[in-house]
Order: sequence, then C-alpha cells, then structure tokens
Amino acid sequence: MTYNRDNIAGIADEYVLGLLEPAETAEIEAQIDGDAELKAAVAASRERFLPLDSGVEPATVEEKLWRKIEAALPARQAVVSTPPANDNRRNSWRATALSALAAALLMAVGLGWSLTRVVEPVVIAVLINEAGEAQAVVEDFGSEKATVRLLGDFDVPEGKTFQVWTLPSQEMGPVSLGLIDRARSVRLRAPSLPAPRNDQLYEITLEQRGGSPTGRPTGPIIAKGFARPAQ
Amino acid sequence: MLMGSWPDELDKALARCANGDRAALRQIFDLEAPRLIAVAERIVRRRDLAEEVVQEAFIRIWTHAHQYAPERGSARGWIYAIVRNRALNLLRDGRREQTVEEVETLREVDQVDEIMAAWHRLDRESRLRDCLGALDDIKRRGILMAYVGGYTHGEIAGRLGIPLGTAKSWIRRGLRALRECMA
Repeated sequence: MTYNRDNIAGIADEYVLGLLEPAETAEIEAQIDGDAELKAAVAASRERFLPLDSGVEPATVEEKLWRKIEAALPARQAVVSTPPANDNRRNSWRATALSALAAALLMAVGLGWSLTRVVEPVVIAVLINEAGEAQAVVEDFGSEKATVRLLGDFDVPEGKTFQVWTLPSQEMGPVSLGLIDRARSVRLRAPSLPAPRNDQLYEITLEQRGGSPTGRPTGPIIAKGFARPAQ
Repeated sequence: MLMGSWPDELDKALARCANGDRAALRQIFDLEAPRLIAVAERIVRRRDLAEEVVQEAFIRIWTHAHQYAPERGSARGWIYAIVRNRALNLLRDGRREQTVEEVETLREVDQVDEIMAAWHRLDRESRLRDCLGALDDIKRRGILMAYVGGYTHGEIAGRLGIPLGTAKSWIRRGLRALRECMA
C-alpha cells in the first residue's frame, strides 16, 4: 500500500472530497474492506461533510425516474424460508457469508476438488451457519446434478434428515435438491431447473426422515449461502 | 433543518433492499431522491445528467445494499457517497469528454455563489458551519469547491488563481484545521 499510514485521516478527507488521483482512489477502495482504521476515517469524514449535502434545496422528482430505475433493476431473490421478522439477522448472515467466502473457497481448493475434476461446476456455494462458520459446500453442475459436502461431523437427530434446497427464482420458490443422511458427501439429483446463477441461494434444513412433507423447507436452517461462479 | 427521515429508517430500508424488497428501495427513493438529484446536479451541472447519476446510483444501492454495515458510517452517508462517486466518475470519465466540455462551460455560471450557498444553508447550530467559518476564506473556498462542486485540485487552483502546489497544500491544511475544530 502506498498511502501514508500516519495520515489516514487526511487521506480519508481527500478521498471523500474526490481530490485523489484515480489510482489513489482505486487503492483506497481496494484496501478499505481490510483496513478498519481507514474505514473508520472515511466514515468519519463522510459524516463531517454530509450536512453540506443533506441540507441542499431538494429538487422536484418525476415518477418516470423511478420507473426507469425499477425497469433497470437486476433480479435478486429474497430468502423465503425464514420469517419476515428477521430482516436484520438475515442481512448479517448474508454479509458474513460474503466475507467468509474467499477463505472458504481457498479451503475448497485445498481439499483438492478443483484440481482433479474433469467437469467443472457452474457455481459453488459455501454454506455457513449463523455463527459464520462454513458448514458445507454445494457444487452445482447444472444439468440435473449437484453435490454437497459437509465440512464437519453433524449429529443428525434420530428420525431426522438434512435436506438441501435451492431457490432458482422467486416465482419457483425453494426446490429440494435431495436429502443427506449420514454421509459427508452426497451426489444430489436435482429436478430439471434453470441453469444455476451467481447469487442463487442454497441452504440445508433439518427435516423429518424422508424429507419435508410439504415440499418446502419447514425445519430449522442448518446452513445457507449464496452461489458464486466456479471459475 | 428538516430531515426527511430518521437515520435508522434508512438503515432498515437498506437491510430490506439486501433481501430483495423493492418497496424498501422505493422508500429510499421517496425520502432521498429530491436531495440526491440536487447534490448530483451541483457536481455535473445538468439536470439530465444528474438524473442519470441518481438512476445508476439507485441500481448500485440495490445491488450493494448487503455491503452496508454501521461501521461504514450512517446509512445516509453511505447512500450519498454512492451518488457523489457516480457524479464524480461521470465528470472525470475520459469517455465522456463531450460532456465534460459542456459541463465546463456551464460551470462558470453562478457556480461559486451556489457552492458558497451550501455553507450558508448549514444549520446555525452546525459545528461544520462554525468550523468552516473559522478557516481563511481561500481554504474554505477550496474545500467547498471540491466537496460541493466536485472540482479537482487543478480546477480549484485555476479558479482561485494560485499555483497547483499551493492549492493542494492549502486545502490539506484547511482539512486538518477542520478535523481539529470538529474533533
């Protein structure tokens, strides 16, 4: 890193004012997630100057601007299997998933899967529990095949089973990819689904033996995560 | 100063955006778009470009809402920073030279008055207002031209009729004095 550690507050101010050179701006943006001091300095600087913006005379806004925005929004799905009252918890879970992703993917490579495989999966999802610990990796090959590997020993209660789900789209709702009983790694037979996408949700729930009676997740979530392209 | 919403309302709206709730994005739009357009227009100087900036910014808010966290500052600060960055990028993007030229000519008109108005509009109780007031006039101008108008060091030096190095060091000293005053 090239910016001066002794003057983080000064650099943060110049970044917030838009006074840095493009290369310096890019460096700040690359470093900020891993540098708590820089992140705090940028946040403090933004708050210092924000009244100059929030005090501006508001412009009039036409409805058509919103319509343009709405028409351009990329599709994304909500997590449908937890009750709507838990917005914040879901959000933090997702944030943890994203930050844990790089490490977990390295781990996956360390386990040697990516090195020996002939057919590459379309997406990989690292599923984490609520504490942010990686619990399982799902590899979705599209074409009706997916595998899941559990990353630890789980006590599955008597009469229960783990069930793997994905959410191909909001319209389809959650779709079962199959059951995991005791095995650590299972090949799943997915029903015919659209090609897996970046950001697609995968999760494992605890269901009664034989799988959820309703065809939708009913039990507690063991782990969940969002897909990333495999290459 | 009348604020359109409580900060934690925006916080909650961002969390709902991260979960795919379009109504939450609409809520942010209703609360903040009138000011966000005005902020962008002060930088890009054209209403149509300001709307383009705000449109792109809302799509980014939607796709990046999951990255917002309180340690990044207030939700409002995070949202405004996205709009500010888009506006500065549009201005400084080499592919938009035509735009920059047009903007340059527009910039001369009434620009300085409008930039200084941002300071005068600050709440009388505002610490920022007092601390900006305590700076030398030229440092205050430099800082406001950068933040409010999106000017570069070079543009500020040119407008203030001082060498580039001098503009840089005065702004730096002004920013340091401002941080100390507001600490």
